Amino acid sequence: MHAKDSSTTKTLHFAAFAFLSVLLITADYRDSIPAARTGLSIAVYPLKVIADFPHRTTQAISEFFTSHEKLSKENKELRKMVTIYSARDQKYRSIAAQNTRLRDVLHIAEMFDDSYLLADILKVDSGHFRQTVTINKGSKQGAYEGQIALAGNSIFGQIIHASTQSSSVMQLSDTKHSIPVRNSRTGKTALAVGTGEVNVVRLEHIKDIDDIKTGDLYISSGLGLLFPPDFPVAVVKEKHYNPADSMTTISAKTVTDFNRTRELLLIWQAKRTLEEQEN
Amino acid sequence: MEHLTLRFSGAILLSFLVALILSIIHLPESLQVWRPEWIALIIIHWAIFFPKKMNYLTVWIVGLLIDTLWGNTLGQHALGFSLILFLTTRMSERITPKTLLQFFFLVFISIGTYLLVNLWVLGITQNKPNNWSYWLPLVSSLITWPFIHALLNRLHIAKKGF
Repeated sequence: MHAKDSSTTKTLHFAAFAFLSVLLITADYRDSIPAARTGLSIAVYPLKVIADFPHRTTQAISEFFTSHEKLSKENKELRKMVTIYSARDQKYRSIAAQNTRLRDVLHIAEMFDDSYLLADILKVDSGHFRQTVTINKGSKQGAYEGQIALAGNSIFGQIIHASTQSSSVMQLSDTKHSIPVRNSRTGKTALAVGTGEVNVVRLEHIKDIDDIKTGDLYISSGLGLLFPPDFPVAVVKEKHYNPADSMTTISAKTVTDFNRTRELLLIWQAKRTLEEQEN
Repeated sequence: MEHLTLRFSGAILLSFLVALILSIIHLPESLQVWRPEWIALIIIHWAIFFPKKMNYLTVWIVGLLIDTLWGNTLGQHALGFSLILFLTTRMSERITPKTLLQFFFLVFISIGTYLLVNLWVLGITQNKPNNWSYWLPLVSSLITWPFIHALLNRLHIAKKGF
């Protein structure tokens, strides 16, 4: 008799916790409890730092033992790049000055420069089929939800959640991510949707499929005003016709190599308005 | 089985911490799909050998931590781990703990059901995996089970049988 009672209690306990979980799933899916996620993110951050430690250490050790020859070669290359970039920067400055003058003439509000912050990626894995990473900059450093993260000169993704010391960044290839893009050859627009596979996105909402060739570069179109325009996003890899639903899917390889990226650039974009987009 | 005691207090907590770290530690891309369900395995072990030490609140909180670490909808793994604890406690009353085969059966059923429920939640929240590799952790969990079991056995003394 007693044993039966205890097993009923256990079942009731389980039912209560299962019900609680379902409530929580519903609430979180509707984004109605952001504070819970922030609290938990702060709580698990030390675990992520510990899990990142072996990777960081091996990296540091291998850097320490790099040969002098390799370092000096790298140094030389970097110097060359700095020279080239400073020359380009000079040109950019003159164009910016010209732009300001023209804006003055046309009486259009001044455009502000974007500002940047470098963030480190903690090398820890996310769950199955989620493509998110954790970075070591949070709302304390000014990061906010919806902020764009760049990997060098290509788009990496956007911040989906910012807690005080860290934030999680959703990669372009996450199934929940999509970005408006434009074919750099034909100028036709599409939507690059994540597939959940590393470095692969799918192109959707395309009007003329025959127009697309493998190797076409898609750049961000800037539509939607979230992503900055004209950053490389993905290169068309293959067109696959599925006879079952008579649909052609176009998969593309992202320009950013998500496996290799260790650092991100967070950008604070100058405010853009719709009118400026149209110009 | 009733006379088991932990080798040191906090052994269970330590095993959970290690499992949490193993769950997110970076693996090469090809190995990532094979990552065993570490937390699920140790919940099964403790639920069989220390049923008094395992309660729903503990596994529920661990589930929330995993949800946060893996970026899932909050509550998904909390539900899954509660289910594992429920199934394990119910089934362990019915099996003979001396046969390895029955243990494998228990692990298979628990983790299989857990993955199935996970898949439903992923489907409802529009995050559905699109290939069979989703089920690989079930295989790898079964393979790692004897090792995990042997390792965790060292955390308690006066072990009898098995």
